[in-house]
Amino acid sequence: MIQRSARPAPLRDFVWTLIRTDFKARYHGAASGFVWALFKPVAMFVVLLSVFSFLFRDQTYLFNLMIGLFLWDFFSEGTRVGLESLFQKGFLITAAPFPRAVLVVTSIANALLTMTVFVVAILIVLSVTRGVPSPVAIALFLLYLVLYVVIVIGFSLGASVLFLKYRDLNQVWEVILQAGFFVAPIIYPLSILPEHLHKYLYLWPVTPVIQFSRQVLVEGKLPTFKAHCLLFAVTAVTFLAGYTLYRRYAPRAVERL
Amino acid sequence: MAIIEVKNLCKSFRIPSVKRETIREHFFSAFARTGYEELRVLDDISFEVARGETVGIVGRNGSGKSTLLRILAQIYQPDRGTVAVHAPITPILELGAGWNGELTAEDNILLTGTAMGLSLKELKSGLHEILAFAELERFANLELKHYSRGMSSRLAYSIAFQSVREILVLDEIFAVGDAAFNAKCQARYRELTAAGRTVIIVGHDLNTINDFCDRALLLEGGHIVLNDEPRRVIEAYLEMLGAA
Repeated sequence: MIQRSARPAPLRDFVWTLIRTDFKARYHGAASGFVWALFKPVAMFVVLLSVFSFLFRDQTYLFNLMIGLFLWDFFSEGTRVGLESLFQKGFLITAAPFPRAVLVVTSIANALLTMTVFVVAILIVLSVTRGVPSPVAIALFLLYLVLYVVIVIGFSLGASVLFLKYRDLNQVWEVILQAGFFVAPIIYPLSILPEHLHKYLYLWPVTPVIQFSRQVLVEGKLPTFKAHCLLFAVTAVTFLAGYTLYRRYAPRAVERL
Repeated sequence: MAIIEVKNLCKSFRIPSVKRETIREHFFSAFARTGYEELRVLDDISFEVARGETVGIVGRNGSGKSTLLRILAQIYQPDRGTVAVHAPITPILELGAGWNGELTAEDNILLTGTAMGLSLKELKSGLHEILAFAELERFANLELKHYSRGMSSRLAYSIAFQSVREILVLDEIFAVGDAAFNAKCQARYRELTAAGRTVIIVGHDLNTINDFCDRALLLEGGHIVLNDEPRRVIEAYLEMLGAA
């Protein structure tokens, strides 16, 4: 018989096992599988760069595209997986009464790992070609990434419980993501759009994260205090909205599986 | 001392007359009138289970047995009433369910086991035993999608049996495997009760209820109609089936 302690093990072991098995199922248990998965965004980057660098003849286009595209990938991948997390892991929900949010939060681990690899790549490319970014720039960039992760988690918490209620939410979100790719200034510089539209584009959470990251890393400018407040507000609103939905629907989520 | 206390437990499900599960359906029938029927699955249930006791639950299909187990296992929420469970509980509710088909048996054991509150250390030291009990040592590295139904059910039993801390809750006990596996389950099960574990079984197999349980509950229409020794409860149940 297994030697058991009297108290249940801390959640840590469960969290780790979830992340590890997610990685394994996704990449067939091998680091080579993970490297293989990085090809898709890199190929996309090469294609977009070769096409659009003729259109936007700017020295910094390459860096801006790199930041925009790889940060976008985290958002689209993270929200897509997060939205379906409770549904996909439904078999665990019916097995034991652990806090359900664990499933949602850990679901973005793979996307986060991919983004980490790309973030390191971005910083290396920038350092080699334009000199090492200042510590302040790097610190702010990391802060934006943390807020970005909070946004994705907030969205996923809300969307994952709604998906159990509305089973075509993933298709709807897919369409929104397709539109969102063009709403966010990923392949084009924001400056080509009229100034009065900018404030609306900043409401799409991806926009401020990408724009601010470019400003600190590429342009070497600090976004204003007001701009930072806006990003915090967007993050807080997204997270609280998602969390509120989660709190409301999660306790009975299992009944909809 | 009671290890499980259930007081005035009520649970209803809303069964919509038209089930709308997508945004598209909501959109196209935004003005359609829809009603729903409230199905009261459990109606004012109260009982206690003492530490070390084995309690069987019998009743016809739809009498609320499975819902009651899910609420005890803290997977469903009660609508009203209180359920106090004073010790860690290990459920086996749906057989064969609970797997990620893309993962090997070993990974599935670790995943389900940690979800049930076991530590990785405990699981890794017991891995061999879990696989051996399920007679699946040779298939430890096979992905679950290649498992037969019988194999995955045996694995489900094995994990839960091996990971019981204090209370075991079982739906449809001993319904899987061949005679040899059943015998092994029964032996393991007797070990658990001998070690003072508390067990709650829902079963259609009346012999099991009669042989193993100290007490039984008869559920009908969401009520406990009898709470007595197994022999009497089975008699009443058979009478009820005969009358129907």
